[in-house]
Amino acid sequence: MTHPVVVAQLDAYLDGELAAPDAGELEAHLRVCPECARLEQRRRTLGAALREHLPRYEAPDTLRARVRAGLRKETTPVGAVRRGPIAWRALSVAASLAVVAVGSWQLALQRAQGEALADQVVASHLRSLMAGHLADVPSSDQHTVKPWFNGKLDFSPPVYDFAGRAFPLLGGRLDYLGGQPVAALVYGRRQHVINVFLWPTGRGRSAGSGDFTRQGYHVLHWTTPEYTYWVASDLGLAELREFTGLLQRGDSAAR
Amino acid sequence: MESSELERFEAVVLPHLDAAYTLARYLTRDADDAQDIVQEASLRAFRYFAGFRGSEPGEGRAWLLAIVRNTVRTWHDRNRHHAKATEFDEKLHSEGIADDHPEASAVRKSESEALREAIDRLPAEFREVIVLRELEGLSYKEISDVAGVPVGTVMSRLSRARRRLEEALCIVTEDC
Repeated sequence: MTHPVVVAQLDAYLDGELAAPDAGELEAHLRVCPECARLEQRRRTLGAALREHLPRYEAPDTLRARVRAGLRKETTPVGAVRRGPIAWRALSVAASLAVVAVGSWQLALQRAQGEALADQVVASHLRSLMAGHLADVPSSDQHTVKPWFNGKLDFSPPVYDFAGRAFPLLGGRLDYLGGQPVAALVYGRRQHVINVFLWPTGRGRSAGSGDFTRQGYHVLHWTTPEYTYWVASDLGLAELREFTGLLQRGDSAAR
Repeated sequence: MESSELERFEAVVLPHLDAAYTLARYLTRDADDAQDIVQEASLRAFRYFAGFRGSEPGEGRAWLLAIVRNTVRTWHDRNRHHAKATEFDEKLHSEGIADDHPEASAVRKSESEALREAIDRLPAEFREVIVLRELEGLSYKEISDVAGVPVGTVMSRLSRARRRLEEALCIVTEDC
């Protein structure tokens, strides 16, 4: 058994996660190799020190009381005063239906993450509407906007101009979503602004697809093999879907 | 939601409030923030509880911890501008001290202080696997579910985190 193999397996062995045959082999090696035995001793010393010195905290009574009060509010029967936007209830029903079909809590979690990201998308959309925040590169020319991202992101987002379909490109900017820098492309429709956020699929959080509504804004989300898309606007849903259809067709034509 | 659903939630999820609070304490490094996180995460957990079909005793715990972890993430993103400034200052500050008197500060430190400081300095993705494994005793599979990464990644993060902690510990015990 080589040293790198021992180093790679030692933690799993000490945590009782190594399969029996591998564990037997490792133990045999530890008996004859003083260097590896010393590594093992150090790990055991650390484990004992961590258990001795790191506190497990007890949830304070004030926290328990707050949680219970929150739960009581949640369970107030429908018809009585209920907190939280109406969309929450509709969405949690949708989430539970989706989950019953698959029967896995991972999916519920994924949906919860989608919810959290939708909040961030709307917050970014609203921030972009403040004076001077809409575009770092205000341009209706896709050949100006696309190269602008060079050196700012490690991917080159697809940029289209749908001026011919009355969705003119207004520009692009860097934004930050789900803990990472993303490309934001801005399109217009009459006086409405559409923000398109995208990043490479498989990076950071992506939750498949979904529609969300927040404070009167529509948020549409989908994933292609290349990119994860989030689109936010106050535009009517039908027109917004027309726009996302153009985007999706543009993308599949580009492949 | 029905009251029987609330009873099920109280039986399956609420017993793990200490574990949730401990994880939030280590991830936020702040007692008040940890309380806010756990409260928000508990309500989120309840709203999605209908989708939870776990029956094993440990599953409610892993599920709640996963939501706590994601709540911390969202919360960090939300407070990013503020948090960035603070973190930056802290880093400058602590590095300054360490660079000036490495031995002097190490000698004064107890084993326990050294370990806690080393834990606080770990990147969040290392800190969470240490807490989940060493304090909560979760299996690699459970940690992988909570952190949303493959078991192999759990293993390598644990190994790298422990190596860093060993380094911090051996400086105080003078057994390197």
